Parts: sequence; structure tokens; C-alpha cells
Amino acid sequence: MDSTSDNRLMEEVRDGKVERLAILFERHHVMLFNFFLRLTGNRSASEDLVQDVFFRILKYRDTYQGQSKFTLWMYQIARHVHVDHLRKLKQEVPLDEQFEEPAGAEPPAINRLSAEFDAALLKKALDRLPLRKREVLLLSRFQDMKYREIAELLGCDIGSIKSTIHRAIKELGKIYFELQGGTSP
Amino acid sequence: MNCDELREKSADYLARELDEKSLGEARGHLADCAACREELEGLSAIWTKLGVLPKEQPGSALRSRFYEMLQAYMEGLAKNQERRGLGQTLSDWLGRLMPRKPAYQLALSFVLIAAGLGSGYLLSVRPRSAARTEVAGLKGEVDDMRRIVAVSLLKQASPSERLMGVSWSARIDRPGDEIIQALVETLNNDPNVSVRLAAVDALYLFYDHPEVKEGLIDSLAGQRSPLVQISLINLLVEIRERRAAEALERLIRDENLNPKVKKRAELGLVQLS
Repeated sequence: MDSTSDNRLMEEVRDGKVERLAILFERHHVMLFNFFLRLTGNRSASEDLVQDVFFRILKYRDTYQGQSKFTLWMYQIARHVHVDHLRKLKQEVPLDEQFEEPAGAEPPAINRLSAEFDAALLKKALDRLPLRKREVLLLSRFQDMKYREIAELLGCDIGSIKSTIHRAIKELGKIYFELQGGTSP
Repeated sequence: MNCDELREKSADYLARELDEKSLGEARGHLADCAACREELEGLSAIWTKLGVLPKEQPGSALRSRFYEMLQAYMEGLAKNQERRGLGQTLSDWLGRLMPRKPAYQLALSFVLIAAGLGSGYLLSVRPRSAARTEVAGLKGEVDDMRRIVAVSLLKQASPSERLMGVSWSARIDRPGDEIIQALVETLNNDPNVSVRLAAVDALYLFYDHPEVKEGLIDSLAGQRSPLVQISLINLLVEIRERRAAEALERLIRDENLNPKVKKRAELGLVQLS
């Protein structure tokens, strides 16, 4: 559609050509939706959150500085949006009811295709991972962020991100094998 | 490399971010240490499984809501520009007139009050035209946004999104070649009849564009749905496109042509003559 870099497009949005946000939306909204979907387990809430991110990008477009990657800035906003969402939920719903199962998230019968079964089980395991570990894993594995970028985004050192990744994968594996009905390796 | 060091490097190992030297050391340790080997194999298996989890698609409402929001924001911006255009220039004017000494400022304020309404009119002429230019610019940007949306939606897999793409195209004031080509392409190749019919309607709005007339005439020969054929004939007759007569004659000669389409084509030939 347009080969201009994300940063250049966002600078144009900041400087008044707000229609250029349409290209950034087309490039990133599906990834962002999947990020929220894995964090919340709720499709319609995830769609609302994506909308909120782009609304805030418009609202705070003047503050974009263009020195760091656009996606880093976007995920900073996304994290704030998610935190606000959790705060709102805490006021409305008891904590243990916050995670609505996505449609069809229950692992299908064992005789179905094993890949489908595997994916459903892994999603369920991800949902049970503590938020911080899940978030770091999602940013690294699904949003293709480098550890250095995640560290910048979360405001911590790269070593702690790497050890979180290690612990997160280990714990995810444990939950996954338990869900399979076995014991962790 | 020992077990603790390997554990520290495991995140880099999984992401394939280890340099040659560290990778060699890690492999060396793994060859000797069964426990680390087993742990890293477990981690790699989960890491790989995560990488192939299918990406999910949001509902089409998300896209509509985003573009509604963007358009509302742009319209709000245009209104603000119009208001600011007038206010800003008035204040610039007064700023230039204002002397630096307070006593003169007071004197001048009386003069200004006396000048009052009459000068107001003169002052408003320039800023309004400047604001009008800015508003025209923003309207052009709204058109650009609609173009981006339309082209993007026309490429989507779901027919309802492509229908939305056609309807966005129809809202563009100056479509340009890209939109015309995308609509003609949709008319000729979209597998869904409703989307092709919508494309005929949208192209009707841009029939004064030379490429549209050519596109419509050429398309007639390739269409197989009677609904689309009749819709195209209606349109060509409506815009009094005489060059269509030849295409209609060719269509009538087609032995497999639907009788109703044939009847409409024959009537069309009479209407065009």
C-alpha cells in the first residue's frame, strides 16, 4: 500500500496529515488485536482496546518524538490502555471472572487434528501464565520485538527480560504438560 | 560454559541471537550435560509451538469504527482550523499595531474601540480566505484517507468488506486512477455478484472519467451473471455511450445469452441509436 516507514508516517500524522494514520492502522491493527486477545482472552474487549490505542495515538500525536521505533511507542500506549482496562474491570467484576474464554477456546476433542488441539491447549496455558511473564513472551514471540526493545518498553534492564523469558517458557511448558494430563518434564 | 551460564543465555539461544563464539560454547556444554540438554529441548519445543500459533482476525466492525473515528477527528480538525484562522489573524493584526509603551497602549485602545465594527469587517476578509484554503486542504486529506481505506478494503477476503470498499470508493470526490482501476478490476474479477453490482453503481458516479467508459464497455463481454449484464447495459444506455453499440451487438450474437439480457440489449441498441 505504502512503503514509507512507520516512523516517517507517524511524523506526518503528528505534523497534521492525520489521514496517514490509516496506513499505520492497516499495518498494525491485527498484531495489536492478537496482543490484546492473548492478554485478555476476550475478542470484543480486544477490539475495543485496539480502537482505544489508535484514539490515543491521535490524541497524543503531538508528543511523538520519532527517536525510538513507532511500534515501541505504540506498545507503550497499548500497555497503558490495557492497565486502564484492568483497573476498570477490577471495579466491575471479581478478579477470578475477568478472563472470558474466547469462543472455541476449550480444547477440541482429542480425536481432532492434533495441531488444532495443541494450539488450543497452548492458548489455554498462556492464559494461565502470570500477566508480566505473558506480556514479555507475547512481545517477544508474537510482536517480533527484540529483548532490547522490550527492556526499553518496560523500563528495565535487558538481563531481567532474558531471565523472565526463560522462566516464562519454563512455566508455560509446565502448565501445558499439566493440561495435557501429564507431568512436566 | 557451565549450567548457570547456559541458563542465562537460553533466551538468546531460543531467539537465535547468540554470536558464533557463545553458540559454540553452548553447544559444547550441551554435548556434555544431559540435564541442560533436556531442559533446553523442552524450552525449544514450547518456543517453537508458540511461533506457529495461528494469528486471529478481528471482526470487520473494528475497521469501520476506526475509520469513522478518524473521519470524525479530521472533520473536527477542519472546523477548528476555520475558527482558528479568523481568531489567529485578528490577534496577529492587533499584536503588530500595539505600541510598546503602556501609555500609548491605553490611547490606542480608545482609538481601536472607536474604530470598532468597521475595521472588523476589513480584518475578517483575509483570514477567512486563508482558513478556507486550509479547510480545502483538509478536505483533500479526507479524500486521501478514503482512498487508502477503499483500496485496502477491496483487497480483503470477505465479500462484506469488499462491499464496504466499494461504498468507500463511492464517497471519494476525486477518485483518481488508482480507485477507478480498482473498481474496474472488482467489476471484472470479483467472484461475488453483489460486489460486482455495487462496483457498477460506484462507477456510475465517475462515468465522466474516460477510463470508466472504456472499462464498462470492455467488461460487458466478460460478464456471465445476467444481473450484472443488465445493470451494465442500463448504465451504458443511461450515460448515452454510443461506442457501446458495438459491444451490445456482439453480446446479442452470443447464442448462450440469457433471453432477458438479450431483450434488454436489443432495447438498449434502439435507445442508443
